[in-house]
Amino acid sequence: MITTAHHRSPGPALFLRSRAGRRPHPLLRLLLAVGIAAPTLIAGPPQAQAQTRAEAQAWPRAQAQAPAAVPGTGQLMDSPASAVGTRVRADEGNSDGKTDGKDDKSNGDGKTGAGNVLTVAVSQSVDSLSPFLAQRLVSTSVHRLIYEYLTNYDPRDARPVPGLATAWSPSADKLTWTYTIRKDSTWSDGRPATAEDAAWTFGRMMKDPGAATANGSFTANFAEVTAPDPETLVIRLKKPQATMTALDVPIVPKHIWEKVGDFSTFNNDTRFPVVGNGPFVLTDYKVDRYIRLRANKNFWRGAPKFDELVFRYYKDGDAAVAALRKGEVSFVPHLTPAQAASLKNAENIQVNDAPGRRFLALATNPGARAKNGGRFGSGHPALLDPVVRRALFHAVDRQTIVEKVFQGHAVEGEGYLPPRFSAYFWKPAASQRIAHDPAKAAALLDEAGYRRDGSGRRLGKDGRPLDFRVLCHATDPHDKAVGKYLREWWGELGIGLRVVCLDNVSDPWLKGDYDLAFDGWSVNPDPDFVLSIHTCSALPATPADTGATDNFICDERFDRLYAQQAVEYDAARRGDLVRQMQSRLYDTGFMNVMVYPNALEAYRTDQIGSITTMPEAAGNLYGQDGYWSWWSAEPAAAGGAASDGGGSSPAVAIGIGISVVLVIAVGILTSRRRRATADDRE
Amino acid sequence: MTRPMNPPNPPNPPKATWQTDSPGPRKSTRSLQRARRRASVARFWRRYRTHRAGVAGLAGLTLLAVLALAAPWLVGDDVQSVTRAPGRALEPPSGAFPLGTDQFGRSLLGLLVWGSRISLTVGLLAAALSVAIGTLVGVVAGHYRGWISTAVMRITDWFLVMPTLVLAIVLATVLSRSVWTVILAIGVTTWPTTARLVRAQTIAVESRPYIERAKALGGGHRHLMTRHVLPQVMPLVLAQTTLGISAAILTEATLAFLGLGDPTVVSWGGMLQDAREAGAVSSGHWWYLAPPGIAVALVALAFTLCGRAVESVLNPRLGVSR
Repeated sequence: MITTAHHRSPGPALFLRSRAGRRPHPLLRLLLAVGIAAPTLIAGPPQAQAQTRAEAQAWPRAQAQAPAAVPGTGQLMDSPASAVGTRVRADEGNSDGKTDGKDDKSNGDGKTGAGNVLTVAVSQSVDSLSPFLAQRLVSTSVHRLIYEYLTNYDPRDARPVPGLATAWSPSADKLTWTYTIRKDSTWSDGRPATAEDAAWTFGRMMKDPGAATANGSFTANFAEVTAPDPETLVIRLKKPQATMTALDVPIVPKHIWEKVGDFSTFNNDTRFPVVGNGPFVLTDYKVDRYIRLRANKNFWRGAPKFDELVFRYYKDGDAAVAALRKGEVSFVPHLTPAQAASLKNAENIQVNDAPGRRFLALATNPGARAKNGGRFGSGHPALLDPVVRRALFHAVDRQTIVEKVFQGHAVEGEGYLPPRFSAYFWKPAASQRIAHDPAKAAALLDEAGYRRDGSGRRLGKDGRPLDFRVLCHATDPHDKAVGKYLREWWGELGIGLRVVCLDNVSDPWLKGDYDLAFDGWSVNPDPDFVLSIHTCSALPATPADTGATDNFICDERFDRLYAQQAVEYDAARRGDLVRQMQSRLYDTGFMNVMVYPNALEAYRTDQIGSITTMPEAAGNLYGQDGYWSWWSAEPAAAGGAASDGGGSSPAVAIGIGISVVLVIAVGILTSRRRRATADDRE
Repeated sequence: MTRPMNPPNPPNPPKATWQTDSPGPRKSTRSLQRARRRASVARFWRRYRTHRAGVAGLAGLTLLAVLALAAPWLVGDDVQSVTRAPGRALEPPSGAFPLGTDQFGRSLLGLLVWGSRISLTVGLLAAALSVAIGTLVGVVAGHYRGWISTAVMRITDWFLVMPTLVLAIVLATVLSRSVWTVILAIGVTTWPTTARLVRAQTIAVESRPYIERAKALGGGHRHLMTRHVLPQVMPLVLAQTTLGISAAILTEATLAFLGLGDPTVVSWGGMLQDAREAGAVSSGHWWYLAPPGIAVALVALAFTLCGRAVESVLNPRLGVSR
């Protein structure tokens, strides 16, 4: 693309020709140039663009953090004693003695050869393969596959289920947690995985800030971690912590990682295979080309059905869909509505359209500030007026966004957490709800003294027109599309909006240089993390620092509720507190959730026979809170991989069309040239 | 090189005196000049008419310019509105929507007409900026020679070897997203070829005796460059501009397609980008992709045809061409 466009420039050629005194036929040159340019314009973007796009697909600020930081759950109090050590149905009948038998069986299955490869199209670049540094969705998903965590989440209801730990129990004072570590988990180099490995992993994160980069929030409250014997892990806490059954920290082998010098720079991508104990073993990785994993035949829960799992990079969504149609990949996430609609009619392809675990909100800058009281940033002063914020949200028609921008593949926004997390879901009461009502929005502004001037523009208190900026991810089509609607809705109120789309929104965001922003997060089964980012303690220490805060919100009541829920071990009571927090957040009016986008993904049914969604009823496959989808995926019975999707024919037709036009053009040109030079020839 | 028989401010009255009856010496100079200009425009047009491709290109451009200028009355500003979009998402071509609709339900034909305004504006302004920079640099480098020329031309060479598109992408990324950024990005990255051409022509012009005479009469650098050199390189600059426009339009479309344009402005490249973001390629919505792509190609073709014709009229030494 780049070279093509460069050569296209007529400049250098003209220069050369002028000196040489000769030139090829202009029409010929042009048609050739157009012939080269047209397909490239249509075909797809170059790497540079696609790269950044992929990164932002994960909501650079948002999703990056989320999967890593999945704090606790309140499930425990339901049956404090019996929950301990309860095995889920999935691992029934998989006792220690059967490991060898399973191994044999898998080897027997393996006789089909290399055909058992599950290929997944991904676009997000890996930030690091070190579990101590990785924060992006793709990297943490890989870690789920190659390392065991103390606990996992049930695919049906996201209840904590055994992982490396088979049982766990808190002490009476809620400050000491004892985990029983399973005996049947071995590292891929043959050594057993023990409590010593877990204790070392947590201990390292407590001692070394470099190792606490990604998941430090889990261990910040740890006082001491010990392993009295290989099957017992004891964690002592400074104060109660509700996330103790949802510690999303990959446990790494001590005998490998104690040789690592600097945890803040080691990316775990130099020696393959990477020693692990998850359902898969990482065997190879090439930056932005592929991540290759081999099934761990000795996995305690049972070996995966596919022999190999490959995450292959497609920086362009259309290219990934084309590959799916051809059967080159088995699974494609993040479809557009148009792609999903056309894939629905394709043969052997199943489209999964399920409620997602993400929300897309509109955040207003509440005046960026630091813990030391320092104010910074350039947020619009008018947005500090609750009436203005309320009026803006009143003018937003969420239903239209769902219908037009997401074309139905989303749910209208209500509270902060998506409805999928029913234990914590909250929706505003009729009295506090900011419904779509443009007339009311205009009335509110009129009452508050924001008058229109002669040209219809709404004037602020300082007499200047209200003009806001909204920060959008240049790489996210949804942001841009919603921005178009906002511009028109708010334009009718007389409020101007400039949609500032950037590849890297973090810089202005962290500096507080925004008025409004599109804000989205993936929510984990435990909402602790997505709530913590709105507390005062998440603010940066000084204006020069970077805090974990999402939108510089600092509200005393919200913080009080947050502190209460963090130490609340009772599920029902904690759920109630979380709902109160959302109600408070809604009333402050700094955040307004517009939609909960669906997970829109597709896979080939002739390659994947069955696969587990999470939650099992209407759940997503890519980016789950566990390894269920890829671990459970079964190859399709008949290997009818050689089939093509019907939809690829238009592309072929276009290609043929262009070739035909080119051939005809060249033919005409040749004949004209012959005529033109006829005089010379005779 | 071009118009060699017409040096400016000629000492002897040329044969074109038949049109004036010279009422006074001062007035006659001015009217003489006007008459000569008229005559040379007429001569230019006569020669231009013989280039059929050039005429076709000009006709296409005229049509497009009329469409672009009349767009507010033809399709109206409302065509861009997403909230008042008349159709459903991604409708195929029909009677109501001859080119179908985009993902917001807006008429693609209307958007295509509306988008021509931005594509043409950016193309013209960017090419003008690029040629202006190139001419300035070229004339200065050609006039001063010596170390100034060497230094300026090394800078030019540096820009010449830089991949234009990459440089433009960097500029468009660093600066805020607006139409002006795109114009600037194209303008400041595509001038070196013009600079080289103009420098060569300047050197050729300055070796002529009348420049020496002007110098002898006390003409300064500024006088020489603006009064004697510039008029002589203008034809070349004109041809270069016309050719540059098509390149600028293509670059604008490319930048917009890469998502570096202003997302709230409708342009052809932006339409292609929207189409790609909607997944129109893999879902087979060709009517979304093809029209803007073809429109970009056709306009670039029209400008190139015109540019070629202008070039060969002004510079007969370029050899056969129709």
